[in-house]
Amino acid sequence: MAGGRRRERFLSRLLSGSAPGREMKRLCDLCAEVTGMSGAGIMIMSGDTPQGSLCTTDTVSALIERLQYNLGEGPCVDAFQQERPVLEPDLVHPSPARWVAFSAPAIEAGARAVFGFPLQVGAVRIGALNLYRDRPGPLSDDQHADALVSADIAAHAILMLQADAPEGEIAAELEAGADFRYVVHQASGMVAAQLNVDLGQALVRLRAFSIGNDRPLTEVAEDVVGRRLRFDDGGGEKYPAP
Amino acid sequence: MPKQAQLLRALVDLADTLVADFDLVELFTLLTDRCIEVLDVSAAGLMLVAPEGDLRLMASSSEAMRILELFELQSSEGPCLDCYHTGVPVLNQTLASANGRWPRFSAEALAAGFRSVHALPMRLRGTVIGALNLFHTDRAEMTAVDVDAAQALSDVATIAVFQFRASLEAQVINEQLHHALTSRIVIEQAKGMVAERENLDMERAFAALRNHARNHNLRLSDVAGDVISGALSASALDRRPPVKMS
Repeated sequence: MAGGRRRERFLSRLLSGSAPGREMKRLCDLCAEVTGMSGAGIMIMSGDTPQGSLCTTDTVSALIERLQYNLGEGPCVDAFQQERPVLEPDLVHPSPARWVAFSAPAIEAGARAVFGFPLQVGAVRIGALNLYRDRPGPLSDDQHADALVSADIAAHAILMLQADAPEGEIAAELEAGADFRYVVHQASGMVAAQLNVDLGQALVRLRAFSIGNDRPLTEVAEDVVGRRLRFDDGGGEKYPAP
Repeated sequence: MPKQAQLLRALVDLADTLVADFDLVELFTLLTDRCIEVLDVSAAGLMLVAPEGDLRLMASSSEAMRILELFELQSSEGPCLDCYHTGVPVLNQTLASANGRWPRFSAEALAAGFRSVHALPMRLRGTVIGALNLFHTDRAEMTAVDVDAAQALSDVATIAVFQFRASLEAQVINEQLHHALTSRIVIEQAKGMVAERENLDMERAFAALRNHARNHNLRLSDVAGDVISGALSASALDRRPPVKMS
C-alpha cells in the first residue's frame, strides 16, 4: 500500500468518532490497531529525557512508559535519542543486550516485543511512539510502514492540537489523558525543603531511594507527598511509624 | 549531457538538499545556478514576496552589481512584479520593445547587455509567493521545452518554501509546548516546597502561590520560580485571598 493511502486510511479513522478530550486516547488506540500491536503509548521528551506520557492504550503500555520515565532507558528513549526506529522483537533474548533495568519488569507485565518510533516533524523532535506486543516476533514490512505513518500523524496531531493552546499553557486536548508525573516534581520540592538542597539534588536523592529500595519513583514520590516518607540530613530516609 | 538528463540531474540534486533542516538560501542559489546550465539562460534570479508585500531577491546566479540592481528595480516595476500579480508566466519579452511597459527596467537591462527577459510564477494552488526571473543575452525566445523545465524548477523552489515555513512553525509550536511543560513543572516544585515549609497540603500550597501572584500582580510561574530559587521565602507569601473588584 502506498504511503498516501496509509495516511488517508489512518486519518479517516482518527477523525470519525473522537469524543472531545479523548483525542489522544483515540490516537493511541489507533496506533496500536493499525500496526496490529497489543498496545501503544506516546511519550513527550525534551533534552533526551522523558517528560511524561500523552496517552497509553492499557496498563502494560502505561507501565512501559512509566519504567522509561523512572529509569531513563528503553525503546522510546533510544528512538528519540538516535532519531530512528528502535526495534526489539524479542525482549526476553534482546540483541544487542540492553535495557537491564527496564526489561525484567516489562516482561513480567506481559511485553515480549517492543518498538520505539521517533515523533518528528522535519528537524523538530517531539517525543516517541511506543508499541508493544504480548508475543515475540519482528514487525512485518506492512506493520513497519504503518508504524512510520502512525508516528508521523501523531507528531503532526500533537503540534496541531498545541497550536491552538493559550500562550504558556499545554493544550487541553494534550493534557486530558496525559501523565506528566507532577507528583515527582511536588516531591522534589518537598525533599529540597527537607534537606535544604536544590531541586536537582532532591531529585537525585528521590531516584537513589527508589533504586535502593526497588520501588517505582512515582510511588516513592507519592509517599513523600502523602507525608508517609521524609528525607533527613543523616541520609536515613524514614517512614514515620503509623 | 542531453537536456532532459540535465534537468533530471538538477531536480535530483535539489531534492537531495530538501532534507530535515535544509538552508533555503543555499537551495535557491543551487537552483539559480542550475537554471543557467539547464535552460541556457545568461542570468537567473529568485524573488520572493516579503511579509511587507514587496518582492525581494533571494538568490541570483550572478553577484554582478548591474544584475543585482535589475532585481532590486523590480520591487516597483518589471516582469517579476507582473508575474507575481497575475500568477501567469511572462515570457519572451524583448527588452527593446518592452520600453513602454517597464521603462526603467528595460533601459537598465538593455544596458546590462540583455535582449529578452522571462518570469515564471512560484505558485502552489491559489497562492503566488514569488517568481523565477530569467534573462537571455543572445536570443528573444524560450522553447516550449525550456518553459516547461523552467516551471518545474520554479515549482521545486515553491515546495521548498512551503516545507521550510511548515518546519519553522513546527519548531515554534514545539518550543511553546516544552516551555509550557517546564513552567508547569516549576509550579509543581514550588508547591512541594511551600507545602513542606508551611505544612500545607498541595491544594493550599497552590492557593498560597496563586494568591500571592494575584495580590502582587505577578505571573504564577514567576512567583514559583522565585520560591524555588530562594528569592522569595515560603513564609513571605501573601496568602490572603485577592480582593474582588465590584
